[in-house]
Amino acid sequence: MSLLERFIQPGESQLPTVSHMGEIPSGQPTTTIWIDGKEVTAIPGEAILRAAQRAGFEVPTLCDDEKLAPAAACRMCLVEIEGYHRPMPSCHLPVEPGMKITQASESLFKLRKQNLEYILSDHNAYCMPPCQVSCPTHIDIPGYLELMSKGQHVEAARLVKEVLPFPYMLGLVCPKPCQEVCRRGLVEEEIAICQCHGFTGELVMEMEQAPTPFPQLPATGRKVAVVGAGPAGMTAAYYTALKGHAVTVFDMMQKQGGIARYGIPEYRLPKVKLDKELNSVWQLRDTEFRGNQMLGRDFSLDDLFTQGYDAVFLGLGAWRSNELRVPGEDLPGVIEAINYLRMNSEGNPVPVGKGQKVVVIGGGFTTFDCARTSRRLGADVTVVYRRSRKEMGAHYSEVDDAEHEGIRLEFFAAPVRFVEKNGRVGGVEFQRMALGEPDASGRRRPVPVEGSNFVIECDTAIPAIGQVPNLDFFEREQGVRKTKRETVITNGALMTDRPGVFAGGDVQMGARTVIECVAQGKLAAKAIDRYLAGDDMARVAEEIAEEEAVPDLIDIVPYKPEEPQVRMPMLPFKERELSFQLIENGYDKNAAEKEAARCLQCVCPDVGRCHLQRLSLEHGLTDNRFHRAEPVDYHDYEYDFSHDFILRDLNKCINCTQCVRICRDVIGANCYGLMGVGYDSIVTTPWNVSLKYTDCVSCGACAETCPTGALMMRERDLQTYELDIVRCIYCGDCVEVCPHGALGETPNFEMSTYGRFGRTVLAKEELAVARTWKPSEDIPLDGHNSPRPPEIRPPGPPRWGA
Amino acid sequence: MPASTAPRLLETEAGGAVAAARDLAVDALLELIEKSGLRGRGGAGYPLVDKIRAVRRNADGGPIYLVANAYDADPGSPLSRTLLTRNAGNVIAGIAIAAQAVGATEAYLYLHPDAVEARAAAEEALANELGVQIEIALGPGGFMGGEETALLAVLESRRAMARQRPPYPASQGLRMRPTLVASAETLAWLPLIVVEQARASTKLVSVTGAVVRPGVYEVTLGSQLGEILTEAGGASGKLKGLHVGGPTGGILASSRTDTRFDFDDLRVAGTHMGSAQVRAIAAGTCIVNEAATLFAYLAKESCAICVPCRVGTKRVQAILESTYSGLGRDTDLAWLDELGTHMERFSLCGFGITAPSILRTTMREFPDDYRIHIQEKRCPEGVCKPIRSRRYETMVQP
Repeated sequence: MSLLERFIQPGESQLPTVSHMGEIPSGQPTTTIWIDGKEVTAIPGEAILRAAQRAGFEVPTLCDDEKLAPAAACRMCLVEIEGYHRPMPSCHLPVEPGMKITQASESLFKLRKQNLEYILSDHNAYCMPPCQVSCPTHIDIPGYLELMSKGQHVEAARLVKEVLPFPYMLGLVCPKPCQEVCRRGLVEEEIAICQCHGFTGELVMEMEQAPTPFPQLPATGRKVAVVGAGPAGMTAAYYTALKGHAVTVFDMMQKQGGIARYGIPEYRLPKVKLDKELNSVWQLRDTEFRGNQMLGRDFSLDDLFTQGYDAVFLGLGAWRSNELRVPGEDLPGVIEAINYLRMNSEGNPVPVGKGQKVVVIGGGFTTFDCARTSRRLGADVTVVYRRSRKEMGAHYSEVDDAEHEGIRLEFFAAPVRFVEKNGRVGGVEFQRMALGEPDASGRRRPVPVEGSNFVIECDTAIPAIGQVPNLDFFEREQGVRKTKRETVITNGALMTDRPGVFAGGDVQMGARTVIECVAQGKLAAKAIDRYLAGDDMARVAEEIAEEEAVPDLIDIVPYKPEEPQVRMPMLPFKERELSFQLIENGYDKNAAEKEAARCLQCVCPDVGRCHLQRLSLEHGLTDNRFHRAEPVDYHDYEYDFSHDFILRDLNKCINCTQCVRICRDVIGANCYGLMGVGYDSIVTTPWNVSLKYTDCVSCGACAETCPTGALMMRERDLQTYELDIVRCIYCGDCVEVCPHGALGETPNFEMSTYGRFGRTVLAKEELAVARTWKPSEDIPLDGHNSPRPPEIRPPGPPRWGA
Repeated sequence: MPASTAPRLLETEAGGAVAAARDLAVDALLELIEKSGLRGRGGAGYPLVDKIRAVRRNADGGPIYLVANAYDADPGSPLSRTLLTRNAGNVIAGIAIAAQAVGATEAYLYLHPDAVEARAAAEEALANELGVQIEIALGPGGFMGGEETALLAVLESRRAMARQRPPYPASQGLRMRPTLVASAETLAWLPLIVVEQARASTKLVSVTGAVVRPGVYEVTLGSQLGEILTEAGGASGKLKGLHVGGPTGGILASSRTDTRFDFDDLRVAGTHMGSAQVRAIAAGTCIVNEAATLFAYLAKESCAICVPCRVGTKRVQAILESTYSGLGRDTDLAWLDELGTHMERFSLCGFGITAPSILRTTMREFPDDYRIHIQEKRCPEGVCKPIRSRRYETMVQP
């Protein structure tokens, strides 16, 4: 028997008429108005906003609640009405027959956006943590750092793996965009975010079954082919398999890992550990790896579909080194960067040895991988870059390390030609450069200085100026297009022009960082899952674009005692000579927990539920023009966390007055009001005392209605308190002293069994009865439509006055 | 000046007006008021007779209220106070006549708490038998206390906050009942209209600033600003500008003395009647600084109900302050214009709607002051001292 059916009295044959949003009760006189040219049936006298909402229009508002009298305070719901010479608040103005209303127009959008910018400029609060925003995978960094600081490392790894399946690998090779924006950096030093997840990754790697973000879903019977076992492909495979699809990963190389295995040298990423981590994919059901299988050589896209695959992900990577296009590039001794790294990591002999001179040209990650590999092989290495150290693409720590390892750096020099000597390369001729005007990338363009040529002698020269994908097979593949930069064209959902074929990672973006490839792999897995479910891919693309948008943030850092970063133990420089041993020794448990505890947790718990955040995203408000002025332009209030159930943070209050109205008009406690005048007005308690000292009944209505995180429910853990009935003398003292009236409110001085927060205070004997009660039993329902156990009265003396 | 040709609000006492009005039928009384051309003296200039008729239309047998606003929100324009101390009888008689015209059951005389003398004079005048219950109510002090709907909130023992209109007080005013809210100066005309069939042709004006004899004067509506200055003894030195309409009014160049002091003409000039203050700004005053000072005042006085007024005034103040602190940029003027448009379009009450007139008029009439501050990073008059070392910057997310 359903809950609703229980309401029907015997003999009543029809269900009662229920009126809710979306329909007008029958018999109600109506009128017609026009909203955005659409005819809308409305009830005369109701707010325009109500009629618009019923008709499916999403009018933005921050201070409206159906239960409350309108305040017209937030000014977001203003609409243009024919006959009015300025926009009017739709929450306040009643419907009149024949009204012509515009609720969405370019000018209203602009004005509302300005309004939001104002609100946010006085909303001194953290929104999203910047680390999470700047990480391409948007990993919940404060979340896993908090878990780590509490010692819950497996749980932390589980959280990381929600978006990043390979935390150990990324802990070592990521260029750490998160750490660059860490707000702890405003106090003293940023958190070692990457090393922290590296620690959890290493920890769970040793487990027989690595933790997954959620249990693998039941088999769907669909098959997905992933081409390329690099970071993007493996990530896509991981999340696709978790969703219950069967996954086969093809790779042209014999082993898994792609560029992470063949392009990143051993000293940065040990391959034994890489394999251990990547094996977490093969621990999942219905996953398979097929090595030595190259798209275009061994099979084609059509073959995959013929073999019964429902979708294909192309994570081919970028394996072809860019050419310098200077004379002599084809001389023996001039070697391709990626090939060089690959040969070395495969254990094959390379043409670099002890005492030889090597010149590496470029300034990116690959440049330094080649240079430091050569150095470890005993060579005398010079890195030549055409701009300055500041413009280098590689992470600054890597440049510094390379220098300490004995690599010479030469800046402002561009290669002109390779010099021949005895039939092979004998040196490289460079020309000096000076910095000119900034180019499209914002970096200043190097300009050659005439007559400044010089030659650096060498036995081997390695041009490492970036890679592009190798798309030679493309001529033969139907329905997939590529750009001039040799990358695959996809839509926002990473699907190519051929339905069912997705692409991500370097092959879609051009050579980028590992973390960006992982992020794309994650998005592609999501898109593939939706594709297999038959969803509209344009809608999926829109959703992805919305999710990737960034809200505005205000930077005010609360005082924290200074606590420098826990240093990562590194391999001493002298031990790095001629050795491919891993240079980062890793945190131990204590160090990892100490470092994780430094996190400021600068994240608003209301993120995702906050209406201000939602509207700001909808209005594309990603920057704010009112930052960084004098302190008098902003407010910095004390928190009120003294109440047992409600957290108050006035900094997030936007003066919508919803709490004032709901507390006064619905609850009757009247705990809130506006204090002060002008810009410094703020909604608070009388005389700004702690909420604890007001008439608050802890109903939580204010927190529920608050559009931002200014008022929030405190997490609480309700317990059943036991009462020893033999010893109770019914003095009523507990009722008297309970600050929240949780025990009181019966006419006599009697222990109430009817607690405010549910039925939690029960006499000892009755507990057993209460606990064996099941909702399915036939029990009369009370006015709140929620089943409650039958009234239980403790045995004892009769009620006074009964 | 003989009273018969041109009645003067501050001097002419209209004895027996209440009794005379009582003898008139309501329609005849309304016709008299209509013929006098009496427009609300509170600043907006809405015809009084239309307001009365609107209240009468909403009458349904329940209580109807009348509030005479003698609050003088603008501290530089004590018109009602002067009127009450000089001629309280007319104000009280006017309230009684208006109460009769709208059929009010209760009337309030709403005063500023500082207006002690005016209050004593009103209490003395109230001693006469008028046939209507008139109560003196005191506002909270501050600029917002004088706003039409904010004063209703005060009378309901709430915070002085403006309320969104419509509904206007004529349909849902005090305690949600039809209410006539009119300024004391408007109502003081009624006895003269009833007794002398006078045309409401003069307006009280407060002349302040760089004039020889600052004070409250009664001038003919439509006088030129130059004539008003002459009334106050002329300028005490060289002038730079004329600030007309109180704190939310615009500043005109001193050369525009031919601007007529009338509801419509002032609106065309980019300002408004407002509190009817004409402030002569002496030469050597920096207008950017003046505008910033005005916005600083407004940011302190806003009732804080709506976003454009509460936050907007503060943001504009800070931009103007950084401009005169030598941190201005060329793009700031367009930005201020944009913020002004938003404030004008999105504000809840006249406070925010009229405040941008300060920006509009100063940027139009004194472009050099802005230009020299922004481009040459110096004060055109050499008086501004930088008070800010940081200005608003755009923070773009990575």
